[in-house]
Amino acid sequence: MIRSALLIVIAVCLLITCADAFGIQRFPPPDFETGHQLPGTTEPGARSEIFEYVDAAVLIIALSLASWLILKKRNRRWIFMLMLFSLGYFGFYREGCVCPIGAIGNFTLSVFDSDYAMPLGALIFFIAPLVFTLFFGRSFCGAVCPMGAIQDLVLVRPVKVPKGLEQALRLFAYLYLGLAVLFAATGSAFLICRYDPFVAMFRLSGSLNMLVIGACFLVVGVFIGRPYCRFVCPYGVILRQLSRLAKKRVTITPDDCIKCRLCEDSCPFGAIDEPEAPWPEEVYKQRKKTLALLIALLPVLVVLGGWVLGGMSDSTARMHASVRLAEQIYMEEAGLAQETTDPSSAFRGTGEQVADLYAEAVKIRGQFAVGGWFVGGFLGLIAGLKLIRLSVKPTREDYEADRAGCLACGRCFSYCPRDHVRIKELKAASG
Amino acid sequence: MDKVIVENSVEVSARDPWYSAAVAAVVIAGVFSLIVIVLLSVNHYHFKITHENRALKLEEMKLELAKTEYKEQFLADIRQFDLEIREEKLSRVKFSRTGGYLLVVALAIFFGCLKFIQNCNKKLPSPQHQSEAGPRQLLQTRQANIAVTVTVVIFVGIGLLLMVRPAIDLGSGEAVAAYPLAEQIAANWPTFRGPAGSGISTYTNIPTEWDGASGKGIVWKSEIPIGGNNSPIVWDDRVFISGGHEEKREVYCYDADSGALLWIGDVTAPAMPGADEFEEPMEDTGFAAPTMATDGKRVFAIFANGDIGAFDFNGKNLWSKNLGTPDNMYGYASSLTMYQNMVIVQYDQGMGDDGKSRLIALDGFSGRAVWEVKRMVPNSWTSPVVANIDGRDVIVTCGDPWVIAYDAATAAELWRVDCIGGDLAPSPIYAGNFVLAAEPDSRLIAIRTDGTGDVTETHIVWKTRDGIGDITSPVSDGELIFLTAGGRVTCLQLSDAVEVWEEDTDGYFMASPSLAGGRLYVLSDDGAMYILKAGREFEQLGLCELGEDCFATPAFADGRIYIRGVLNLYCIGSTE
Repeated sequence: MIRSALLIVIAVCLLITCADAFGIQRFPPPDFETGHQLPGTTEPGARSEIFEYVDAAVLIIALSLASWLILKKRNRRWIFMLMLFSLGYFGFYREGCVCPIGAIGNFTLSVFDSDYAMPLGALIFFIAPLVFTLFFGRSFCGAVCPMGAIQDLVLVRPVKVPKGLEQALRLFAYLYLGLAVLFAATGSAFLICRYDPFVAMFRLSGSLNMLVIGACFLVVGVFIGRPYCRFVCPYGVILRQLSRLAKKRVTITPDDCIKCRLCEDSCPFGAIDEPEAPWPEEVYKQRKKTLALLIALLPVLVVLGGWVLGGMSDSTARMHASVRLAEQIYMEEAGLAQETTDPSSAFRGTGEQVADLYAEAVKIRGQFAVGGWFVGGFLGLIAGLKLIRLSVKPTREDYEADRAGCLACGRCFSYCPRDHVRIKELKAASG
Repeated sequence: MDKVIVENSVEVSARDPWYSAAVAAVVIAGVFSLIVIVLLSVNHYHFKITHENRALKLEEMKLELAKTEYKEQFLADIRQFDLEIREEKLSRVKFSRTGGYLLVVALAIFFGCLKFIQNCNKKLPSPQHQSEAGPRQLLQTRQANIAVTVTVVIFVGIGLLLMVRPAIDLGSGEAVAAYPLAEQIAANWPTFRGPAGSGISTYTNIPTEWDGASGKGIVWKSEIPIGGNNSPIVWDDRVFISGGHEEKREVYCYDADSGALLWIGDVTAPAMPGADEFEEPMEDTGFAAPTMATDGKRVFAIFANGDIGAFDFNGKNLWSKNLGTPDNMYGYASSLTMYQNMVIVQYDQGMGDDGKSRLIALDGFSGRAVWEVKRMVPNSWTSPVVANIDGRDVIVTCGDPWVIAYDAATAAELWRVDCIGGDLAPSPIYAGNFVLAAEPDSRLIAIRTDGTGDVTETHIVWKTRDGIGDITSPVSDGELIFLTAGGRVTCLQLSDAVEVWEEDTDGYFMASPSLAGGRLYVLSDDGAMYILKAGREFEQLGLCELGEDCFATPAFADGRIYIRGVLNLYCIGSTE
């Protein structure tokens, strides 16, 4: 473990320097009065609308194919090939946009802002993986998501994450989802898109910071399978819950588990649950008390979460450009700012009233306070439910793919002797 | 290693030549990637260091440009150097980009081959003996409970830290007032002739006795480094004046209590190659005739050549610029005034029909133009005033032949009156319900302020020829008007311009009269202050000699008068 950690640190350091490649600042324009007219800012023409539907169609076909390969064919090789295609198409060709993960922001804003209309293509991208997950499990994560694919490719020496740590780290994804929804609902930022760690790689261009963060995820991903998917991805949080309800989903064995334990180390994502041993009587009694206490504490956790995140509104509201601008203007007016910023200079050029800006900022802070209560309450609820779930009596009797956490990569199929029997039977049947 | 099982039971020999090739490829791609990473890093950091040095050198060269005699050659050198820096930059970027592509390819080969090797080396699963499931799972569950709880506590802790972190209170009155409130302006002397350019002090404890020769009533006297005809302005414990000549334009900040010169701000802009040749102003005007202005946080100064600059109260230069050399036959002299966060510049110049004159509002913090209005008037020497008229802040300006009122917030013209002409120097005032504007040595006009558009025919209340000087501006307490012309002081009734009294003195007045505590203060050019009763009867209450020539209008503060002599700045007040 220590050796792996050391390797991670060294590799991260190397990749940080490597990320410099595309991170050099642009050069400022000349400032001589030579009469030279600087060319105006130009923008590339919009992509033809038809491609929006082509992308959506490709997504649906890929999801269908993935579901078929995972549930019917149970073929890791073809799943892997489809994953490569998705990485190429949705990642490097479409440059990571639109992606269902980032579409959370668009969807949220369209709900909270009546002036914002979510493009149909983006809506399909947001909804289609959810629908497929509801019916077939996380086939999107397994073979269609380019972000998952790039991490999957670099996974060379998987290390098992302790169960306790895994449970705790997953809370980050909920926090990220909550904040992403809060910032999108208030019109502050599409947090997920802004901090997409891999989009800079797909585009072979981007800020140095994001390249470094992406590189770090990949380096960590050499040892820890898909760290972004498991501990950060906010879309994965939604997919996890839908996957629990999925009508069909990945099973390690095609028929009956013979408890041979051959599969127990096959999943690099810690998504295979072993059969649970029944609790001794004294443990059972103690857990019952703990469970009762946790259920009683659940409302407290909800209120605590709401109070904390709602109370942080002055800090969280800084994600909104108007609030940042108002604070900068205030600092400038109070003589506390060292220098002006481009937004503050631009604001002063508009002739708009500072008092109006302050009033807008105060209003936005209010929105963050209200939104913070809801999101904080949600996070408190999640934390409480997680603790409650850990205190519920075990019922699992077989080795099972985690209903929520299985990423449907199909690695475990070949480890199951029953699957080999199935393949032999199929071969025999086909002559 | 003989045979291993890979996915879907496809057998691959580890001794396969592809295996050896993959191992070699991993090594080569890995080493290559490292080399590219090192080269990219060296390229990035080497450029970062050298670029900073060269950029500094370029800035120094630009500053040198103002001093050099062979401007064209030097300019060509700067451009060449600038071009070299840019070419190097582009070359470095190209290097980085090429390196980036190579790195991506090398890493793809590296990981591809590594995965191939991993597949070749895959071993059969062989479950190890495990401790009993029950206790192990209980331990795992306990650890998970602890980990989740600790994470929640960390989240809450961070949240609490952010909660108690001090935030800027944007909702408070203090925050909303990004510019001084009316009460603050009234308590200070922020522009030429004080609040609203009225010449009226709100203080009643203004000194009435002093003597420059004996030092009686002189709190302090400080030398002025470079002369000028502008008046002092005062905000709290700071007094500001400016001075300038052909080589240098400066701002001076004095401590109001001790007279210590706290800082000198340089507004001198380097001469721009190709700029209009600047014609020196008349000696009587000088380079620093316009009075400065302050919003209580920043001070602003403009000079005869169009140099304008802003400083904070600690002397930090916030911005400096040149508005273009003004085409002004006697030298630019209009004082600055303030409206909220904006510095108002009446930039009258040229002949009137050439469209050169402008009224400009600059953002106080950045110096950017907030709005600009063209004025079809020739050069003038009057100063704009900002007065609250019928609940609206209005900028009143004089420029041959118009008195024009603008909405200060939008710069929209409200009304104009065709009533004055010639070389205009006296500034307008707002008193009672009238705007008073003077044509030098000719007439004083009272205008009603409720009009729209050209109200020449409808809104002139009266015109009078009594008591009008050529430079000084009137002052009024709302009932009476006091005027100076040469050494004569005249009092008129505001409502109908009927003369109340008129008296000759031994002085000669270049400074405009001021009112404070029911007294009229009129400063003669020989430094004698005539203190008269501001009433219907002429009564001289005092005559205080300073002993130094004075041309600038004094500034008034709490219990003090600040008088600018030609050489020294004086603070008059109680010395006890």
